[in-house]
Amino acid sequence: MRAATETKSERISASAEAQPRIRISRAGMRYDAAQVFRDIDLDIGNREVVAIIGPSGCGKTTLLRCIDGLLPLTSGELRLEGEPVRGPREGVAMVFQHFGLFPWKTVAQNVAYGLKLAGRGADAIAAKVAECIELVGLAGFEHYYPWQISGGMQQRCGLARALAVEPRVLLMDEPFGAVDAQTREILQFELLKIWEMRPTTMVFVTHSIEEAVLMGDRIVVLKGRPSTVHEVVEVDLPRPRERRTLTLPRFAQLREHVWSTLMAEALRAEYEVRK
Amino acid sequence: MRPQRTWLRRITIASSLVLGAVVWQVAGQFASDAFWAPLSATLASLVGVAKSGVLLRQALSSFELYLAGLAVAVAVGALLGMLLARVGWLRVALEDYIMMLYATPMVALIPFILSIMGFGFAPKVLVVFLFAVFPMLYNTIEGARSVRPELVEVARSFHSGEWRLWCDVMIPHTLPFMMTGLRQAIARGLVGMVAAEFFLSPSGLGQMIMMGSQNFDTAGMLAAILLIVLLGVGLMDLGRWLERRFAPWRAYQP
Ligand SMILES: Nc1ncnc2c1ncn2[C@@H]1O[C@H](COP(=O)(O)OP(=O)(O)OP(=O)(O)O)[C@@H](O)[C@H]1O
Ligand SMILES: [Mg+2]
Repeated sequence: MRAATETKSERISASAEAQPRIRISRAGMRYDAAQVFRDIDLDIGNREVVAIIGPSGCGKTTLLRCIDGLLPLTSGELRLEGEPVRGPREGVAMVFQHFGLFPWKTVAQNVAYGLKLAGRGADAIAAKVAECIELVGLAGFEHYYPWQISGGMQQRCGLARALAVEPRVLLMDEPFGAVDAQTREILQFELLKIWEMRPTTMVFVTHSIEEAVLMGDRIVVLKGRPSTVHEVVEVDLPRPRERRTLTLPRFAQLREHVWSTLMAEALRAEYEVRK
Repeated sequence: MRPQRTWLRRITIASSLVLGAVVWQVAGQFASDAFWAPLSATLASLVGVAKSGVLLRQALSSFELYLAGLAVAVAVGALLGMLLARVGWLRVALEDYIMMLYATPMVALIPFILSIMGFGFAPKVLVVFLFAVFPMLYNTIEGARSVRPELVEVARSFHSGEWRLWCDVMIPHTLPFMMTGLRQAIARGLVGMVAAEFFLSPSGLGQMIMMGSQNFDTAGMLAAILLIVLLGVGLMDLGRWLERRFAPWRAYQP
């Protein structure tokens, strides 16, 4: 069964191999009053992990929403596997900063949510749910409700729900921003492990420079108001990334580089006085 | 430590109830029969009407009225509440009328209802309905409007249609609020029931109270009142239990 799904997604990706999975060209977005970002150009390849980092309010979440099809761009174009994005679509799944779990559903029911909406059969859902729950390390907690488990476990559940629909693009909006530091580290390395097992295209929004370097093949630094792509940093660290990666001299170099790019801005923002 | 405390609590509650019964009994012994009857006489009267079948008939009649009014109130309150929460212009159009009705003491409307609809079953149901519908309506609107936009976004992100959005998000989210509304409606509906039985065509337990009062059958009157009190306590417990059962959903904010 695994093999069957593998070849299917292989086929789809093969047809799209020629073009990038996601192509963002001259993208701009404004809410009524304020332009959030403009002129963003970004191609994201098949199975590439792009980390997006930038100061608070620079539009990272907004950009993810646009990629997910939840919001239309106000200018420019966004293509997914060659097709313009017009709304939420199959093959893309999002993991939310605030978990976005339904408190009236158990862990298992939350994980099954996307599959149910996709109209899968009960047996297929049960098998897939069990598999994903196992994968994220929630076995034994299927029948707990979100309010009964820790923040880390809740986000494991959110991750399982996204993985269950076998997305070709995984959108992560500061997935570990709301959990404590130790849990965050554990989850980072588990996510890396899971990604090695089933690599997908991933857009990973984060506030943490270390996390961006650890996760990304590239880091997109957003800056300015309205924000634009300030810099794209190639992360030439070997995969699989593990705890050991943190000790590499190259890791420290990249971290320092991104730090200096971001911190000038952060300092300026901190001392900014409202007029 | 804790079990002992619970024990102490229980003993205190039990003693308080026993003391209340004793006071009732003693006060009844000294007061004139026209004003107050002892507990024993009240209970005897209760057994008497129960044996004769009058009690069952009257209680059922009351309950039928109560349930009919409450059911309509819950259904209308829930559906209209959801609709008003979701359809902005309808809410704006109806808001002021609802406010006015809510602010009106319902008893004031009873003569009006009487003159329009007369003495049948329907006007009495309407009274119970009017007493019970507003808490249901208000809590439902508040609940449905407070649905977390993040969860709606999650649903849209997984390509949920409008119908599934209602089933998976809107209704489950609103349920705990509806339960609060139901608890309040249960209590207010009971007031409405007695008011309807007093002021429209007399029937049920309300009629028993009125007749007891008019015939100076104080024991009979107290028996009917006692029954309504017990009914109220039981229904309130049911309401609170329903509300508690759904409370964790409402409190959950990651
Ligand atoms: N629905 C909305 N309507 C109007 N303005 C909005 C809306 N959502 C976000 N904004 C504004 O757009 C800007 C970008 O918001 P966004 O949430 O995308 O930032 P972010 O980079 O994700 O920030 P953070 O790091 O704090 O999560 C902010 O200034 C925000 O106030
Ligand atoms: Mg954000």
